[in-house]
Amino acid sequence: MDLFLQLLITGVMVGSIYALVALGWTLIYKCSGVLNLAMGELTLMGAYVCLSFYTWGIPFPLAVVGMLIIGFILGLLTERLFLRRMVGESILAVIMVTVGLSFFFRGIVAFTWGTDTRVFDPPVFPAEPIRWGRIVVGQVYVWSFVAALVMLVVFVAFFKYTRWGLSMQATADDEMAALSLGVSAHRVYALAWAIAFMAAGVGGTLLGNINGLNISVGYLGLLVLPAVVLGGLNSVPGAIVGGIAIGVLQNLSAGYLSRFTPGGIKEIAPFAFMVIILLFRPYGLWGWVKIERV
Amino acid sequence: MDERRSALQINNIEVMYHEVILALKGVSLEVPQGGIVGLLGANGAGKSTTLKAISGLLKHEDGEVTEGSIEFLGQRIDKKSAEEIAGLGIVQVIEGRRVFEHLTVEENLRVGAHLRGNGAHLRRGLDAVYHYFPRLKDRRDVQAGYLSGGEQQMTVIGRALMARPQIMLLDEPSMGLAPMLIKEIFEIITRLNREEGISILLVEQNVKLALATAPYAYVLENGRVVMDEPAEKLRENPDIRDFYLGLTDLGARKSFRAVKHYKRRKRWLT
Repeated sequence: MDLFLQLLITGVMVGSIYALVALGWTLIYKCSGVLNLAMGELTLMGAYVCLSFYTWGIPFPLAVVGMLIIGFILGLLTERLFLRRMVGESILAVIMVTVGLSFFFRGIVAFTWGTDTRVFDPPVFPAEPIRWGRIVVGQVYVWSFVAALVMLVVFVAFFKYTRWGLSMQATADDEMAALSLGVSAHRVYALAWAIAFMAAGVGGTLLGNINGLNISVGYLGLLVLPAVVLGGLNSVPGAIVGGIAIGVLQNLSAGYLSRFTPGGIKEIAPFAFMVIILLFRPYGLWGWVKIERV
Repeated sequence: MDERRSALQINNIEVMYHEVILALKGVSLEVPQGGIVGLLGANGAGKSTTLKAISGLLKHEDGEVTEGSIEFLGQRIDKKSAEEIAGLGIVQVIEGRRVFEHLTVEENLRVGAHLRGNGAHLRRGLDAVYHYFPRLKDRRDVQAGYLSGGEQQMTVIGRALMARPQIMLLDEPSMGLAPMLIKEIFEIITRLNREEGISILLVEQNVKLALATAPYAYVLENGRVVMDEPAEKLRENPDIRDFYLGLTDLGARKSFRAVKHYKRRKRWLT
């Protein structure tokens, strides 16, 4: 039972990071219909930018803020330079552009920061774990959880209460109607990329604090796919719940199943799960059901 | 046409889709400031295309104004983007009650005020909309996808009102609504015109209703304006009576035996 709780709690905490990245992914998909396969590389870019700031001696919170600003700008630029001219092209072509983007960013990362694993040095969070009874959780997990949660709340509040947040939701619902009211679709797309970049950057930074940072953190970009499929591709709450569920699932399968396998079950489990969901609930748990009035 | 200054003037425009399909072939029309003008015609005549050409939404459907010009208060707008045009105060209410389904009524209205900022204007705008559509006030927190058809139509008109339009382009506000609701909505449209001074270009398939609302109307056919006259004259026009109002001279319903439409064609282009 202790093992289960332990796995569950760390799973939720890691999952909240996935949730953050999944939210960014969903946002792009929802607003502009682009299936983004470069999400993992966005996390890499953000994480390395933050790491660089931190190694220059900038305090961690400020380094994160700096990363958010750079991520915002990079997001706007990515949309402007690569995706704007793809508006109206076939879905497959746009997906291929995002594949291209993923290699491009990966190249930039390898070129600028090298391929060795880098760590945040000195460690940002104290190594001393927190104990609740017999459950032991590393502080880095707890703080990552808190940070991810704060970001999620900020984003959700942004969508619900601000002018641009509402306009983004409106564009996702009915782009033509939003245009007729003077909402600029290009700006909405750009904003979606900017927010996705920021969310991914925070996610990558937190993961980098947990495991150290190398190119394989970009694997996270694939991991968001089962998360968003579970939640329903275009649902923000779905992405959050999906992300957390995938984190838990990953941890549980690592804890209980890895002794029966030669290893790697942790990596495979989410995808096996995704296939099963697609079989039984192709729209995910909260995917948009078209509202039909009868 | 009355002598007021024109708000909107379309001069002989030609519209092409995908650079090959000619949808409008020389349409000219004029909406006087503070007036209501009807735009009539059958399916596929080019009514919606005309509205989209004005509001700039055409560009997002790969359409283009290739000839002629569109002027709003003397300023050329046919090359402007949809958001610039909306910013000038031209708001189209697109056909088919396109509410933002997953937003509440009030959120829908707030998106309408997108270009006008958040502050005091928003409050005033909401008050005005709830004044004209009291029913929306009761339903403000309901997800718009679950509203009745009439309430959805009210929401999209209210939403357009939030954008502070000088001219509203209404695309078939009566479509699919019950007669009672149609009456209510058209009364409100007339009031918006009279009390708020909003000019209105009204596209309608319900010709009787349109001619009762708009004092002047244009008839489109195959991408051309084939007639434009004051409403009372159009109502008397035998072709309009036959083809759009379905009336014979006596005002009685036609018997199918008498219809020899293959012999008598609409020949307006002499």
